Amino acid sequence: MNKFATLTLLFSSLGGILAGQTVYRAKKIQATPTQVFQPGEILVEDGKIQAIGKSVKAPNGAKIIEWKDLEIYPGLISPGSSLGLTEISALRPTRDEREVGTHTPDVEAWVAVNPDSELIPVARANGITHAVVAPMGGTVSGVSGLIALDGWGVEEMTISKKVALHLWWPGHGITIPQPNSTGDSKPKSIKEQEKNRDRKIREIDEFFNQAEAYWQTKTSKAEGFREIPAWEAMLPVIEGKIPVMIHADEVRQIRAAIEWAAKRNFRIMISGGRDAWKLADLLAEKKVPVIYNHVFTAPVHRNLPHDLQFRAPGVLAEAGVPISIGLRLGGWSAAHQRNLPYHAAHAVAHGLSRSKALASITIEPARIAGVANLLGTLEVDKDATFIATSGDLLDIRTSVKHMILAGNEVDLESRHTRLYQRYDNRPVPQLK
Amino acid sequence: MSFNTLTFITLCLLVPFSLTANDERVPFPGEKPRGLNLHALVGADIQVSPDTRIKKGVLLIRDGMIEKVEKGKKVPPGYRKWDMSGKTIYAGFIDPYLLTGVNSGKLLDLKHDQQHLRATAGLSFIGTPSTRTDPGEKGPGFEVSGVHPEKKGINGFQPDEEKWKNLRKHGFTIAHLAPSEGILRGTGPCVLLGQDNPNQLTLKEEVAQVMAFDPVGKNQSPPVYPNSLMGTLAVIRQAFFDVIHARETSLYIKKNPSSQPHLPHAGIRSLQKVLNDKEPFPVWIEPGSCLMENRALILGEEFGIHPVIIATGDEWRRPDLALSRNHSYISPLLFPALSKFPEDEDWEQVSLDQLRAWDHAPSNPALISKNSKSLSFTTSGVGLGEFHENLLKAVDRGLPEEKALAALTINPARICEIEQFTGTLEKGKMANLVVVEGDTYFDKKAQISSTWIRGSPFEYPVKDAGDEDGAEEANATEEKEPEKRTARFPHDDRKVIETPGSTLFTGFKLWTCTGKGILSDHDLLVRDGKIFAIGPNLKAKAPKDCKIVQSKGMHLTPGIIDCHSHSMILGRVNESTLPSTAMVRIADVVNSESINIERQLAGGVTACNLLHGSANPIGGQNAVIKLRLGQKPDEMLLQAAPSGIKFALGENVKQANWGDKYTSRFPQSRMGVKTFFSNRFTAARQYGVQLQQAKQGTGPPVRRNLELEAILEIIRGERLIHCHSYRQDEILVFLRTMESFGVRVASLQHVLEGYKIADEIARHGAGASTFSDWWAYKFEVYDAIPYAGALMHERGCIVSFNSDSSDHARRMNLEAAKAVKYGALSESEALKFVTLNPAKQLGIDKHVGSLEVGKDADLAVWSTNPLDYRAVCKQTWIDGHLYHELKRTREREKERAKERDSLVAKARKSLGEGKETGTSEEAKQKFFRFSLETACDLFPHSCRTECNHGKGARR
Repeated sequence: MNKFATLTLLFSSLGGILAGQTVYRAKKIQATPTQVFQPGEILVEDGKIQAIGKSVKAPNGAKIIEWKDLEIYPGLISPGSSLGLTEISALRPTRDEREVGTHTPDVEAWVAVNPDSELIPVARANGITHAVVAPMGGTVSGVSGLIALDGWGVEEMTISKKVALHLWWPGHGITIPQPNSTGDSKPKSIKEQEKNRDRKIREIDEFFNQAEAYWQTKTSKAEGFREIPAWEAMLPVIEGKIPVMIHADEVRQIRAAIEWAAKRNFRIMISGGRDAWKLADLLAEKKVPVIYNHVFTAPVHRNLPHDLQFRAPGVLAEAGVPISIGLRLGGWSAAHQRNLPYHAAHAVAHGLSRSKALASITIEPARIAGVANLLGTLEVDKDATFIATSGDLLDIRTSVKHMILAGNEVDLESRHTRLYQRYDNRPVPQLK
Repeated sequence: MSFNTLTFITLCLLVPFSLTANDERVPFPGEKPRGLNLHALVGADIQVSPDTRIKKGVLLIRDGMIEKVEKGKKVPPGYRKWDMSGKTIYAGFIDPYLLTGVNSGKLLDLKHDQQHLRATAGLSFIGTPSTRTDPGEKGPGFEVSGVHPEKKGINGFQPDEEKWKNLRKHGFTIAHLAPSEGILRGTGPCVLLGQDNPNQLTLKEEVAQVMAFDPVGKNQSPPVYPNSLMGTLAVIRQAFFDVIHARETSLYIKKNPSSQPHLPHAGIRSLQKVLNDKEPFPVWIEPGSCLMENRALILGEEFGIHPVIIATGDEWRRPDLALSRNHSYISPLLFPALSKFPEDEDWEQVSLDQLRAWDHAPSNPALISKNSKSLSFTTSGVGLGEFHENLLKAVDRGLPEEKALAALTINPARICEIEQFTGTLEKGKMANLVVVEGDTYFDKKAQISSTWIRGSPFEYPVKDAGDEDGAEEANATEEKEPEKRTARFPHDDRKVIETPGSTLFTGFKLWTCTGKGILSDHDLLVRDGKIFAIGPNLKAKAPKDCKIVQSKGMHLTPGIIDCHSHSMILGRVNESTLPSTAMVRIADVVNSESINIERQLAGGVTACNLLHGSANPIGGQNAVIKLRLGQKPDEMLLQAAPSGIKFALGENVKQANWGDKYTSRFPQSRMGVKTFFSNRFTAARQYGVQLQQAKQGTGPPVRRNLELEAILEIIRGERLIHCHSYRQDEILVFLRTMESFGVRVASLQHVLEGYKIADEIARHGAGASTFSDWWAYKFEVYDAIPYAGALMHERGCIVSFNSDSSDHARRMNLEAAKAVKYGALSESEALKFVTLNPAKQLGIDKHVGSLEVGKDADLAVWSTNPLDYRAVCKQTWIDGHLYHELKRTREREKERAKERDSLVAKARKSLGEGKETGTSEEAKQKFFRFSLETACDLFPHSCRTECNHGKGARR
């Protein structure tokens, strides 16, 4: 890419090409996980898809973009990340993904997204158009948001400020009582641990009871009502406006979460889901979506099959569980979001169908984020948000050539391409 | 001190201070006169020795000694007659390893916890000049923490009546009070557990030099050397070389009299006895884990030491490695016990390994007994309450009663070298006895009615055994067959699948990783572990009994080689205390039992470079291994691989992200890193000069310095540097510094900004072993780019992608694909990033890394193009042997699941039947404790994350 082309791209990105109609012609369009147009065409106007098919009628004056050798896919959506919240995981000043306190429903993630994070263009360069950004820390850590990976400022980038309330389910396992292991933590007896876990689960219930009580006092305009920010933040959950995203890996956590949600009539999804495959039928029956973060997690025991976690998404999908695939949450994975498609791809080698794999990083996370009407597939009236690739999106050897985000061509340059260009052009140094 | 004097002292020590218990003096007037001390024990069955029993005999005691043992009931006049009918007399029990001192009773527990992962130290250690005046123990001696072989437990020995009372009650009459702190711990006395003054109780002042592989430095804050297992071994080695040096210096001074005094310190003097060829003073080693027992045996051979080994109870994990028929073992009798879980589902989290440990434990003593020179039991690590019960369990599981008895009596007497006084009930030995109600000790109901120490009885009330309930219960237990062990041995299925003499791979797509590129529809013939031929059709060349592997569209590549791994290391990956730890060796701590071997074989990996961590500029010596599942650690080593060493630059070595406590170790800046290298290399060069002079006889003998020796090997081109590095400036400066010492760097590891100075790296000739696409986890990797591999390749560097992660190591083929994505390398070149190129960097490309005739048959079979995301590794071959075949691997995993299910059922049944009641807290905790070999898999290490060391192991 020469400097001039870079400049043009930059301008097009800044100015946008919203005006008018555009037709994109590609070798192949993966419109939905199961629908392929080969060749395919998309007509875009005002950032929306007007028509899509093997061929569309190009209106007079429409700009035609020929991507003869490229394949079009919907933009990829990360179902959970710290993108924009973390820059360098080892450096505290650059980390904003975790807050203190055990119950902080009034913490919102979108507010701390750094639009100029160098990590965002790097994720974008591999086809990620959107990311759910989630707060961490404590039992109720706050509310996640959905951001588009392009925009001038955080408000412009934020698609949804309230995706879900995040609840980190307490562990049900008996931990290992290690006597004097570090000196600072005395081992707890099994009895004590049992009490602890019961108490923690009761505490969750109690917290939501209190939230409900607050809601009742407020709606009934009862006397003595005082506004309390934390309870205010719980209202959308109590009113069923946003779901609860429950972070749970073990079977018992997941089962308890499902039972808890049924009792309260909450809409939930499970994030993590390491052992969810064992409850695949239950999850399918209750239609609880799972965000599976453990494709590359090692099996927890030596005796478990070496490829257990690779195979789990296949088992879940086979049972009919709506499944998204993501990286594990936290500062560490923020820099590696670009590998999202390869987490899904690895599951394909181990039993997940290709279409479910594609769904797990497009339409399923769109549903999780409550934006399936806009994103996740390429259908008429949805956002014109898609990418053009040199081949199968899931193949590592493939590269992403273009990104259109709500009708705008987005710059795929990044810190990485810039540095590559700079040093690729370094003259061979003279011997000293 | 001359050797004769030493021998004399040693001989003196063999003779106890006083053999007669009673003063022969006339009691003073007013003193209550003692009895005549003549006892006759009549009517009991006398178990004279484990295999000799006298039915209804008489045992005469005179002055604390056994005067006579015979059948009958003849009692000479003057003897106090003890009616012992219905009882059995055994020789008094001996505890050969009663740990005494700060860690009293506690066996070594090599944990892998957060504390263990912390790190730092001053500059002070054996090897690098000290900035502290006395880094070891207070006073003269070795300058390393935990190394105090001169310590003598006899000094300050006091009877511990509180504890001894209980031991006597359980039949113990003698104990070796073994020291419980440190690495080279010193000695302890062998004493009678009676009530007397220390002089009277002491049987032997010093039994053995007790060693333990205990990284004691980790207990200090901030930690000091050694805080790793490999560091512990280096410390022991260096201590022995110091002793040898002292000896050589004495000889030299005899020939070349000098006015300089030569005065080896007390630590050296005490170890000189150990290395004495003629009458070596015994050494006992507590290795702390199953694999380390093997290391203890090997270390013994290295220095001509024949140690007694303190077992862990975990020998079932690798009996072939842990046990030796030429060595005596002391074992605790602590068996893991089950706990009642609050919920049924709590069983879900119990692993096969824990269940195996539970089921094997009672069988372990029989296993040791069968496969060793002798077995003795110790009460250390066990509550006495369970000692008898567990002993019976061991007998139930096949330990013959006479062996069990020997393990309590004559065997410990022999290893303590006191068998001339005790251990059996033969005439002339000390009257140390245990009297048991009934005809056997080996019964649940057996009660000890008295314990005799040197002829003095300690009597215990006996409960009435005749009540009916008890009798019924006894009948009930008699009917029940003892529970048999059903758990398998880990090595039953952790092994090679098939070892054909020759194998023909036919019709494959061959990724040769040579100039020939990718060959379609080709055959490859393996004979005797080597690639014998490659060609379009080799059927004619194949021997008759040749195994045939049909392609069916599959691809064949060289086995994957991972140039940067920490996946199979025991104890700790970093000796993180000192800025140079060139003396520690990963080869000492290769974990042949790691599950990562199986998992990585399933990803086509056949060899990896096990590296020390990056906590210091000069790290430890690496080990290049092949993933030969089931073999011994030493057999896994890739013998042809040149020696190497880990170096590191940047944030980790200057402790940039370790927290505020870590600001005083040199270096704290990149300036200091360079300074440090120059310093150590200069020191090593001078060391080389001294060695040369000594060799030519123009200088005094040189103390062998394991740190400088390793660095000198680098200067001489005998040891390869693998240097963890990040920023362009530090890389360039490092290369120049090494060039100034005439050294070529073999590989730059990670080398994330290497792309900025690719030409300089290529010119220097260093390999570049990088990550495919990691970045931004530390400030120094903010400029890391995924194009780096391709860019450096284009500019002439030998480039590889490494894992530095037990996860990534499972899918290195897909990492290679990223070189196609970022930088558009050809697929054939990309695969070389994980095969031939790492082989070149490790200096093993003559043997592995490509498909060429004559090379080792280390191969991976893939379902499709290995760079395709759908590719699955179907087979992995090493040296022509099949180590992974997807189908067989699956079967093995199913069998393990089945075994686990049946053990869970057995455990739950056992709990239900109340068999596990009354077990101690220690035993219950042991169930939850991981062995060192398995714990190391649970705490993955990566140099990427070294930054968080101060805060533990998390990412």
